[in-house]
Amino acid sequence: MSRVISAFERIDLRALSGAAPLVIFVGMLLFIGVNAPNFLTWNTAQLVLNQSVPVVVVCLGLAVVVMAGGDDVVSGGIDLSIPATAVLCAGIIAQQVTLAENPLVVGIAFALAAALVIGVLNGLLVTRFGMTPLLTSLAMFVAIVGVNNVVTASRRINIDSPLILFLRDARIIGVPAAVLATLVVAAAFVFLIHRTKWGLNLQASGGNKDAAEISGLKPTQYLFGAFVLSAFAGFLASFFLLARGSGSSPGTEDNLLLEMVLATFLGASFSPRRVVTVWGAVLGAVLVAALSIGFTSMGVNVFWTGLIKGTLILVVVALGAVSTRAK
Amino acid sequence: MAESTAGMPQTAADGLKRILTRYGLVILIVAFLAFFSVMNPVFLQGGNLLNIVEGSAILLIVALGMTLIVATGGIDLSVGIALDFGAAFAVVAMKDYGADWYVAALIGIAGGSIVGMLNAVLVVGLRVSPFLATLGTFFIGSSVQRIFTDGGGPISYRRMPEEFRNLAVGDIFGIPTEVVVAAVVCIIYYIVMERSIISRRVHALGMQRSAATVAGLKVNKYLILCFIAASMTCAIGGLIAAANIRMFTPLSGFAYLLDAIAAVFIGAALHPRGRPNVLGTLVAVLFLGVITNGLNLMGLNFNTKDALSGIILVSVLALAVAQRKLR
Repeated sequence: MSRVISAFERIDLRALSGAAPLVIFVGMLLFIGVNAPNFLTWNTAQLVLNQSVPVVVVCLGLAVVVMAGGDDVVSGGIDLSIPATAVLCAGIIAQQVTLAENPLVVGIAFALAAALVIGVLNGLLVTRFGMTPLLTSLAMFVAIVGVNNVVTASRRINIDSPLILFLRDARIIGVPAAVLATLVVAAAFVFLIHRTKWGLNLQASGGNKDAAEISGLKPTQYLFGAFVLSAFAGFLASFFLLARGSGSSPGTEDNLLLEMVLATFLGASFSPRRVVTVWGAVLGAVLVAALSIGFTSMGVNVFWTGLIKGTLILVVVALGAVSTRAK
Repeated sequence: MAESTAGMPQTAADGLKRILTRYGLVILIVAFLAFFSVMNPVFLQGGNLLNIVEGSAILLIVALGMTLIVATGGIDLSVGIALDFGAAFAVVAMKDYGADWYVAALIGIAGGSIVGMLNAVLVVGLRVSPFLATLGTFFIGSSVQRIFTDGGGPISYRRMPEEFRNLAVGDIFGIPTEVVVAAVVCIIYYIVMERSIISRRVHALGMQRSAATVAGLKVNKYLILCFIAASMTCAIGGLIAAANIRMFTPLSGFAYLLDAIAAVFIGAALHPRGRPNVLGTLVAVLFLGVITNGLNLMGLNFNTKDALSGIILVSVLALAVAQRKLR
């Protein structure tokens, strides 16, 4: 009898802590909506979406690597170099177009090549040399930022090429073009990871490496692919960075890195099994941007946002840990 | 099998491989030393070597704290925050409360320990993974500094007591005080982490936590103590930094994070069994110091230097890990 009761209690605790992260978020958004009357409007929503677009795209890349390598942060899959890749690609494109006065296509080609080199290097270092992804991508982050400083001479470079301006200003049926483009990218990633054989094999390799190996998959091969894909996500994100800032500015990578990690691992707490998912990462990125903008429009001092974000990640992650223990 | 080939090199190629896999990193370090001395004769002069050692003191102290945490199987992204807190508490104690220099130093170390306590609560109490817990601490700690300094302006104290100032600019029997402090910290870490029963326990809980628990080790107690000890160590680094520039600069500790992680992992690669260890960390910190100093002396452009040191860091880490894997 007592065993039955304790089983019920466990289910309750799990259900409760499972829904808690979303409840906390919706509660906070409503609270902001009440205190800042302009917050719950379509205009603010557009602002939020526009702000979160680059973060969403880098989160897609990180989510794929985490799914391919397993979600242990230190020994599993993680790619911290994506924001640096995005900033480097933005730097290359802006440098080529504005300073070297080459056509946009040339800049894009160079940026894509750079991103692929980074992805292959990350993949080789992790799968061939046996470096842990955390260490690899952290060191790569520093190296890439260094290279970007050489490319751009640590200066801000404006860009006014039509494609970038289109991403910045255009609206299609009332929705910002950048948001629509991001939706397409996200849908492509979801399709690739959840609807193709390659994607399912990749998830299997990350979910249980030994089981995947026994059933004939080569987990390292999928991890390698994931790193290349994540660098490609960095390349895609560079367009949205260029559009958001009307050019490339060195130093954007630090904030992007923190937001990416925050959004992706927050996203995990929205999934029923508490694993990193593509849609979870997207939702996490949008919610974090909504909170940042919400607190600003409430008149909260901007110095406090880091404190709020930090507390948030800890509360949500701790709830996740509690619910895993309850299992 | 591996044992026998290692014991008796059959051919010259085998012998060469054995030497390279065992001493490859050491050979590389010597090669860099030789290269820099050829490029600039000033490099090998006593004054410059002393510069390297002096410039590495704070990084060594921070990296030792990191070594302890990595040995327990975790990682600490908040070492910079502990360093900042150490500096801030000490400077404020002297400036606003007129504390004596040694009282201020103790207050600084106590201030740094707050960071470790928060980490311990999160990791041990709430079972958050060290990566995410210390990332949260990093967010919160950065924000607290911004709030406290109204946006990140430095707190300057030009008339700080001579004795405190001497932590950075004074000398004891002709040896710079910061080098003496770093050496003392290093010796304490060496005794505790390599030559005592505590070292066995720390490594045991880092390698096989469940086995350590079964063996009756008070795992939680040791984890808590390690986090607090590491943050107090970093706070000592903060004291030296504050004494050096006679002010507390918010968020300056972040600069040491990546170098500290890199030093610990390069150091671990030097260890026969690939464990983080004090001597390895010491050698790695000095190596990083040599690279920075050597590149400076070559008179390169600031951006190029940045990129080069990043690329060297990635290569050395890859080599370090590959060397251990091939052995």
